[in-house]
Amino acid sequence: MTAEPTRPGLSQWLLSEQPASRNQARLGQAWRIWLAFTRNRLGMVGLGIVVLLVLVAIFADVIAPYDPLMGGDLRTARLLPPSWDHWMGTDDLARDIFSRVVHGARLTLMVVALVAIIATPIGLLVGTTSGYFGGWIDVVLMRITDIFLAFPRLILALAFVAALGPGIENAIIAIAITSWPPYARLARAETLSIRNAEHIDAIRLQGASSGRIIWGHVVPLCMSSVIIRVTLDMAGIILTAAGLGFLGLGAQPPQPEWGAMIAGGRRFIIDYWWVATMPGIAIFVVSLGFNLLGDGLRDVLDPKAQQQ
Amino acid sequence: MALIEIEELEVVFGSGGRSVHALRGVSFTVEEGESFGIVGESGSGKSTVLRAACGLAPVTGGRILIDGVPVTSPRDPAFYRRVQMVFQDPYASLHPRHTIDRVLSEPLAIHGFDRREARVEQALVEVGLGKGFRFRYPHQLSGGQRQRVAIARALILEPKVILLDEPTSALDASIQAEVLNLLDRLRAERGLTYVLVSHDLAVVSHMCERLMVMQNGAVVEQLTRQALRDHATTEDYTRNLLTASEGFTRDPALQT
Amino acid sequence: MSPLLSVENLRIAFPSRQGPVEVVRGVSFELGRERLGIVGESGSGKSQTGRAILGLTPVTGKATADRLEFDGIDLRNATPARWRSLRGARMSMVMQDPKFSLNPVMTIGKQLMEAVKLHGGQSEARDKSIAMLEAVQIRDPDRVMAAYPHELSGGMGQRAMIAMMLVTEPDLLIADEPTSALDVTVQIEVLRILDRLVSERGMGLIFISHDLELVSTFCDRVLVMYAGQVVEELDAAKMSEARHPYTRGLLGCLPKINGDVRPLPVLARDAAWLE
Repeated sequence: MTAEPTRPGLSQWLLSEQPASRNQARLGQAWRIWLAFTRNRLGMVGLGIVVLLVLVAIFADVIAPYDPLMGGDLRTARLLPPSWDHWMGTDDLARDIFSRVVHGARLTLMVVALVAIIATPIGLLVGTTSGYFGGWIDVVLMRITDIFLAFPRLILALAFVAALGPGIENAIIAIAITSWPPYARLARAETLSIRNAEHIDAIRLQGASSGRIIWGHVVPLCMSSVIIRVTLDMAGIILTAAGLGFLGLGAQPPQPEWGAMIAGGRRFIIDYWWVATMPGIAIFVVSLGFNLLGDGLRDVLDPKAQQQ
Repeated sequence: MALIEIEELEVVFGSGGRSVHALRGVSFTVEEGESFGIVGESGSGKSTVLRAACGLAPVTGGRILIDGVPVTSPRDPAFYRRVQMVFQDPYASLHPRHTIDRVLSEPLAIHGFDRREARVEQALVEVGLGKGFRFRYPHQLSGGQRQRVAIARALILEPKVILLDEPTSALDASIQAEVLNLLDRLRAERGLTYVLVSHDLAVVSHMCERLMVMQNGAVVEQLTRQALRDHATTEDYTRNLLTASEGFTRDPALQT
Repeated sequence: MSPLLSVENLRIAFPSRQGPVEVVRGVSFELGRERLGIVGESGSGKSQTGRAILGLTPVTGKATADRLEFDGIDLRNATPARWRSLRGARMSMVMQDPKFSLNPVMTIGKQLMEAVKLHGGQSEARDKSIAMLEAVQIRDPDRVMAAYPHELSGGMGQRAMIAMMLVTEPDLLIADEPTSALDVTVQIEVLRILDRLVSERGMGLIFISHDLELVSTFCDRVLVMYAGQVVEELDAAKMSEARHPYTRGLLGCLPKINGDVRPLPVLARDAAWLE
């Protein structure tokens, strides 16, 4: 995949060394990052997979040939192997697996998006506040972070789900609660290296409040490494969600959640391999896509990686 | 009454056994409209004086008075409208993700100034950059241009005092001349008061009417520009600095 | 006597989005057992010139020359093994900041002795190291031998660095801004050490610096570089007779302790200098 050909006028406007407005400067900056990103083949593959996931989730109703919840004739359509009628075969309730995988993309995307929306700001806020102020605030916030980090993520998520009750919403909350500590650690480390930079001293001397400095000056510099980390974590989040689903604590039947689907196919994996394999492949491809995207983003956004 | 009075300033970093006594009783005064230089080698505490004055270093003893009034800690907004600082490294003193426009408008927003657009453009013109630079990012500028932006940022709140921490030591000689000329012109136009820290005696002698030599956190001596030029110094340390600044002299013993 | 080093039409190019960019464009000079200064502002290509002589051009760059000879050895197509036998042993480099050139987790003594051992001399390594530290006027060589780089001041670190580079008694030393990170008084001391070593050991020295005044007082001969080219070659003693407007501009724009030129003359760059 290469950058789509653009009118030379637009590209020139975007790459102008003398932008005439705030928006032109901002768009130009974004365009430069995009140009750098398009040079990374694997990153583009990852982006393609993630975009595909989003499209599939949006147009699931159009793409899926059958109803994901209502099966066909239980006498004739149970556990059919992959064929032209059923691309991924059918499961024990005569439901078309392809349709269920397509609809499952919605759940996966929802988990990923909600976890990112909940966990990233918490991590950023805790990490930058802790790193910027130091002292006892740092000690308190980091010890809380340590407590969360002390448990394996799946075990902690299990405990939360057990407390909150099974269901996809609670699974999301549990995963979000368990995934912010690494972001807080990362943001704190970045903040510590930025805190004494001259440009932070300079804005302090302009009389800026701590909130303004953290939000307007520290967070933007921590953002790129946290975004990279979140993207690379997505695979783990998908697997945790699938794991909870597999254990029956995440999405509840008959929802087409990929982990739960694998759990459902486990009983006859020897004779009817496709029932568990197809959602497994979906999990694998999407996780790979996020990892590739994260690697690509790191090459573009992380200044330390650029200096080679 | 002097504009800036520093009395017996003490700064100690850290505490307990690992504390560093960075300033040991430093006193000096700067009159309004004057340019005062602080010279010293690394570790002499010359930059710490500036940082302590504007609240970036912990003051553990002594007093800082502006217009006869002791400064508050933390400093109030009025202080920042009177006293601003230009840092040494133009590559580190501008936020890498902010446009020049944002760098210059932010102080205006913090202090609630009016006519922000006009002020930003005027500041850029005054430091010799022009409006075309307004929406650029720091990485699109050279070192000299960045330092001009840093000067514009310090001037935009219309302060009376500018603290200059080695403003040209990271720049090439030809760029240094341009920046020094700019600082000179701005001082004349606006009646600014400068406190300039440098390791370079020539720069201080060019820019400042009076100067102070520091070593190990203490003042060695204070002298006027004329005294410096006449080598009218009483201290050996200052004399060594002066000799060293004149370049390399071959060891007479080796001249065969 | 043939020169120690001769460089003819040295060119170094780096790739960029707009095609290769030449940072050094046809530099030629010869060096005997003398002190040669290379002066220029940032981006003039002075450091890249120094690195290319040691074969240390960054991997993305490409250095070519019509002639690059060190003591009769053609360096242009030297094998990695050849380079290893030359670097450190016969030609060395001192960098600007000792903090980045010394291994932070090894004592100075260990690093020094390693340098000696690599180029022969197993047994007398320690004696030789101590003698070298004394030669760079470190008064307490035993303490410095046992110290880690961070325990030394900037001036001490730079002296240790110079000791390390000179302990193998090279014929050619390239010093890239060796004193820019140091205070003026320390700077003069370090230069004095370099000066003595050059005159006592008959070493060739290339002194790369941005400081025209310092170079003109320290070196025998000065090359002034601008935008990858040598614009003027001068006897250091005849600096006041410089003819090229760039050299004159560089000299003029420095503030002087005794001068009171206001405003300072500013260097007006001329596109014709790029020819």
